[in-house]
Amino acid sequence: MKKLILCNVILCFFISCQQQEQPKISFYYWKTIFRLSPKEKKTLTENKVERLYIRYFDVDLNPQTGKPFPRTAIQFENTTSGLEIIPVVYIKNRVMLDKKLDILDLAKKTNSFIQQINSKNNIAIHEIQIDCDWTLESKDNYMRFIEAFKKVSAKKLSATIRLHQIKYFKKTKIPNVDRGVLMYYNMGKIAVDSLNSIYDQNIANRYLASLKNYPLPLNIALPIYSWGIHIRDGKIIGLRNKIDTNNLKNNNSFVLTKNNWFEVRNSNFNRGIFYKKNDQIKIETISATDVLEMANNLDENISQNPKEIIFYDLDEFNLKNYEEGFFKEIIDRF
Amino acid sequence: MKKAFLKKLLIAFSSLALLVYGTIYACADGDWGWSFDSNFTPETFVDKSYSPLFLSADFFYGIGYDNEHTTRFNEENIKDWSTYLEGKINEKDLAFFLADSSSADVTNLVVHYKNGKSNKLVEKWNKKINLNESKIKDFLSFLNDAQIVETYSTQKFDSWNYDETVKHESLSDGNWIKSMEKKYNDIKDPFLKNRYWFLVIKADFYSDKPEKAIAFFNQTQKLAPKNTLYYRALAYIAGIEYKQKNYAKSNYLYSQVFDKCPTMRVVSAYCFHPQEQKDWQQSLSMAKTDDEKAALWAIQGYYNDEEKAIAEIYKIQPKNQHLDYLLTRLINNQENKIDKSFKDKTVVENKKRIKDSIPNSTINLVSQIAESDKTSKPYLWNAAAGYLETLNGNYKQADKNFDKAESKMPKSELANDQIRLLRFVNNLSKIDQLKPENEKTVLVDLSWLYFELPQKAIENFRYQNATEWSKNYLAALYRNQKNTIMTEIFNHESGFYDNEKQLLDMKAFLSKTNKTKMEQIGAAIYEIKLRDINYFQGVKATFENKIPEAISFMNQSDNMQKTNFYGNPFLGNIKDCHDCDHQAAQKKKYSMLDFLTIIQKMQDNVSKGIDVYNNSLLLGNAFYNITHFGNGRLFYEGNIAGYGSTPDFFRDPIREMITNCSLAQAYYQKAFLAAKNNEQRAKTQYMLAKCERNDFYNKKYYSQNLSSWDIQDDKTNFIPWLGFKTLKANYSKTKYYREIINECGYFKTYVQR
Repeated sequence: MKKLILCNVILCFFISCQQQEQPKISFYYWKTIFRLSPKEKKTLTENKVERLYIRYFDVDLNPQTGKPFPRTAIQFENTTSGLEIIPVVYIKNRVMLDKKLDILDLAKKTNSFIQQINSKNNIAIHEIQIDCDWTLESKDNYMRFIEAFKKVSAKKLSATIRLHQIKYFKKTKIPNVDRGVLMYYNMGKIAVDSLNSIYDQNIANRYLASLKNYPLPLNIALPIYSWGIHIRDGKIIGLRNKIDTNNLKNNNSFVLTKNNWFEVRNSNFNRGIFYKKNDQIKIETISATDVLEMANNLDENISQNPKEIIFYDLDEFNLKNYEEGFFKEIIDRF
Repeated sequence: MKKAFLKKLLIAFSSLALLVYGTIYACADGDWGWSFDSNFTPETFVDKSYSPLFLSADFFYGIGYDNEHTTRFNEENIKDWSTYLEGKINEKDLAFFLADSSSADVTNLVVHYKNGKSNKLVEKWNKKINLNESKIKDFLSFLNDAQIVETYSTQKFDSWNYDETVKHESLSDGNWIKSMEKKYNDIKDPFLKNRYWFLVIKADFYSDKPEKAIAFFNQTQKLAPKNTLYYRALAYIAGIEYKQKNYAKSNYLYSQVFDKCPTMRVVSAYCFHPQEQKDWQQSLSMAKTDDEKAALWAIQGYYNDEEKAIAEIYKIQPKNQHLDYLLTRLINNQENKIDKSFKDKTVVENKKRIKDSIPNSTINLVSQIAESDKTSKPYLWNAAAGYLETLNGNYKQADKNFDKAESKMPKSELANDQIRLLRFVNNLSKIDQLKPENEKTVLVDLSWLYFELPQKAIENFRYQNATEWSKNYLAALYRNQKNTIMTEIFNHESGFYDNEKQLLDMKAFLSKTNKTKMEQIGAAIYEIKLRDINYFQGVKATFENKIPEAISFMNQSDNMQKTNFYGNPFLGNIKDCHDCDHQAAQKKKYSMLDFLTIIQKMQDNVSKGIDVYNNSLLLGNAFYNITHFGNGRLFYEGNIAGYGSTPDFFRDPIREMITNCSLAQAYYQKAFLAAKNNEQRAKTQYMLAKCERNDFYNKKYYSQNLSSWDIQDDKTNFIPWLGFKTLKANYSKTKYYREIINECGYFKTYVQR
């Protein structure tokens, strides 16, 4: 017995002397049809991606019945062979705010729906991720849902965690999952101002120091997406995903007025959206330097390296903004 | 992680229950939209069929989203068939056949026609209708065919069934569709022929080869009458073209449906969806007539640019009816831009901002059209032009426009009130400085707006915005003229009564009998009444321990003095439990005035040295109970102090007043000094500890104004207060001490440490 303890002690020393293991590269896949372009495939191969987090469906409340239902479920046009798939279910907070929510029923239905998608597409899974921006008002339902879902699914669970949920975890509680994923984006307010709502180092700094105290082991999700905020008469009228600034620069109906702001010179339709004369589009992007800054700041403030850095999201449109070797460069910071 | 990418569904049509709306909201988590405050009621002059298309924060005005996919044509179908059948089946039975679960009945009757055998269902109908009548036979036979397509068009699916949600069943029996085409070709009766024509297109739409519908439609459409069925069919064709990415064609067709089939305006407006500018240009070039061109602009204007749409339609068809609804959207959209904050601005500055926010092009276009008198409803254009001139600061021109509108418009209560409201807004907007002579121009309308209109409840009439706006406008005028009282009257500020001079001035104002007409209106709409002020003064005097004064104020508070406390306000229990005290049996209920009168009596007794311990203890309890911590919070709540279950609800001076237990503390101290035995001393020490505890909470939470995020839970619920220490040191042998230990966990924990 004594020997065994001694061995353990030595082993502990041995481990702690070693450098922490470097995180692996992973991605979220957030489109409704799973079909990988050659560029997307190449990115997965080059970065030796083993695990892919695929949004399977959202859960929302049906506006007519008030009951939860799965929305925009994924359809697979490509196989997922060679990759471990982690289904992600995005649950709208209003579902968890519902006082009449039948939690066990929702857990069973969600699990069954995941199983249906898996069996239809021959996917075997070991882990499920739940994404929900829960609040103080919905935390009780959410925590109970996670407990129920853990039992029903009998799978490893992970859950997304927002920055304020890290800092105020005593109040927001911690979901009973095996691992959390820190969402290091969507920090600010989507607004008609000069700030970037996706990432703002000043906002991030308010939370970084809390990371060390968070009791759950964390992976980290970093943004590589961009979007346009469509503004009319000083009011936001919508978010325009995957908006291509080069396309706007080459279209004489749009004028670049200041850095990342376009003004509509002539009313026109563009990718199904009507842009009215004098509308403004505020482009929010994340540069490679931003992501490097995030990685550096995070590395300085975490006690344990994440097992994975998950980039949001795998899409040719996003990938083109980053040089080859970029993802490797990010994980090298840890 | 919030983005849910909108899957482009086949944009389809009426009876397609599968494709419910709501996807439109899927794009964004925070549903942006905007609420609007409006003086311009679109219902006043615009045809009802446009109503869902009026400007709204929802997708569709009034209905939110379209949910008539399977019911939209029920009534029309029943009417059509009733006419065809010449009343041989009554409308109630027709409604059952056409719009209810009649498929078993229909199948049995059709089988009966084939094999002549009867059963209960056949017998049932045999008694009601003449089954041998040839038109009835044709009807049932058609219905049987139509119901086969319906199984595909009205599929309901279990949203938690993955297969059903991703793959809807489509009609795959091409031969059956061919047989319907044959029926269409063979049938001579024009009504039935038309029905089968539509059924073939609908069947193709729900089949695995929907494109076949286009060929069939192109071959046959010339012969088809241009009725509702025609435009329903056209909408199916438009849906198929969209699916095939022929956006220009699809949108062009939808615009025709929008133009010619009012029942389907909601559907076509929802489905119209150019992808790129070239699609829109191509659609325009497909338009062969002015009607078609105008239709395209009319539907495009719904989503986007009403002004451009109006200009284009007006150029080619000034009498086009679509102009009306577009104009209401244009006006309502301008109203959205209006700056309504008068807080730090004078009316002059406010009006300047409004004027700057309305584009000249909009004013010019509407004025020009109004002047031309070429539209089908010139009064609508005059009303709109007048309103824009008001916003533009051109009040005389606005008057002229309203005169013109009034002289030509069809008189209805809504129309009369609408013009009167716009005139009122114009008249009040003319005033930059209130003087007796210009006051007169708005007095009658102010009374109408504030007192008469709320009683009338005219459907759809938007007058509430003018109510709020006029109050703010008047308050801004008075603020500028340094009339504090009238500013407050039209724009109540919660802290107004924290200033003693303002309070007394307002009392004098409300009490005076020679009010001007404007002052009378103001006093009548002012939410605070004289009794509220007296009550508030009574409460304040009580907290200052000026009881005779408090009684005198209470006596002037009408019935408010008679309000009863829920519980006994003289109780002093170990635990502060409002609900328990409120539910406890009470021999006597105490009104606010009783409460003060008893306090006064007990204070007399104390000063005379009569039963000082008991009187002081009860006085302590009384003053304790009217704080936030006691059982009589009702005492301080009111229109001026405010209402709320926690101190954060109250503004600073009130919060300080209601969380301060020092008066109670002073009486408990007095009781302690007058106590005759240790039981009494123990009790007063515990009561003093309660006051210390409240002070601890005040300092820790209530005076900090922290958001719930920032209140740190440091798990320190109590500290060894002096009262606790004294109790433990001196009175541990008393009965009361044991009672405290039984009831008060903090104390128990403290003594066990």
